Amino acid sequence: MVRRLLVVAALALAAPPVASARGVFDPTKEFVQHEWIPIHLGPLNLSITKAVAYLMLGTVLTIALGVFTMRSRFARLPGRRQTVGEAIYEIAQVQVAEQGLPAKAIGRWFPYVATIMLFIWVVNLLGFIPLPLTGETWHGVPTWGIYAATSSLSVTLALALLTFVFTHYEGIRWNGPVRYFKSWIPEAPKALLALIVPLEVLGQFMRLISLSVRLFANMLAGHILILTFIGLMFILQSLVLAVFVIPIASIFYVFEVAIVVSIQAFIFAALSAIYIGSAIEPEH
Amino acid sequence: MNSLIAATSGDVTKAGKAIGLALGVGLGALGAGVGIGNIFSSMIQSVARQPELRGELQGIQWLGFALTEAVVFYGLLGSILAYVLV
Repeated sequence: MVRRLLVVAALALAAPPVASARGVFDPTKEFVQHEWIPIHLGPLNLSITKAVAYLMLGTVLTIALGVFTMRSRFARLPGRRQTVGEAIYEIAQVQVAEQGLPAKAIGRWFPYVATIMLFIWVVNLLGFIPLPLTGETWHGVPTWGIYAATSSLSVTLALALLTFVFTHYEGIRWNGPVRYFKSWIPEAPKALLALIVPLEVLGQFMRLISLSVRLFANMLAGHILILTFIGLMFILQSLVLAVFVIPIASIFYVFEVAIVVSIQAFIFAALSAIYIGSAIEPEH
Repeated sequence: MNSLIAATSGDVTKAGKAIGLALGVGLGALGAGVGIGNIFSSMIQSVARQPELRGELQGIQWLGFALTEAVVFYGLLGSILAYVLV
């Protein structure tokens, strides 16, 4: 079996290039942002690009999902709609909000963490559905492709900045500026403090980087993996390779859709809750 | 592809970049692999000992999984930066 596979692989690699597969393929080109509708306000570039279009679509779908699952009349015997809505609500309540937020702040911050979880989940999932939004045309017909808005660092950094700002705003609001910033200083010998305090301050900013880069790199790497494996056909110019390449790409696709998409949305929301919660109730 | 060709034609800079990229991603994946293995092995042990805690542990497990997994991507990002900038 293995030998037969190897023979087929060797034949596939040696097979003459298929004419239809000719052309340069570069997976990184999929992530370039073209300005579809340029909007420039002074130094600000607010143009509508591919990522913005996906974000808008994601926003509409998130609202639709919320309205569809939550705004049904509560029945004695819940239907499928209500069951899904309650399942989502329970994950947001039990697994995300109650893990990180103290009881006194849940009422205020549950909407934020639940929204960010649903929104990232929808935008991530949109990234794995082929849509005619690539901005390229083939004989006048828009080509279909996969792209996730969250595989752009600007998007995830904006989301992480929201959490970052809310964290410190809440920390100062509940504890007052002096007590809050004092809580950053850990208990340690005086001589070590000069070394530890800059690290703690740096750590606050590292959260921003780790929160945004985790989501961004996960989605980017997932897309690049799938695109590279399919693109191997075009780089080596052999359609026979499809026998190997498409199953591998499909496995990665299923892995991304089934696990990574939901985990990343959950993690982002859970960490936001933990950060905000730890600012509201510092340990010392 | 270009870096593969460059390695045989004597363009040492490009070859070095390719090695750096591969080492960065590979070592990152090594560490994350060990870490993720640890998390799931402790999860299996804890569930085997106290199956009733499964629901509570699952949230913590996925949190740990995602935090560990992200380490690969820091390595990936760093090595891509090195590959592009140097």
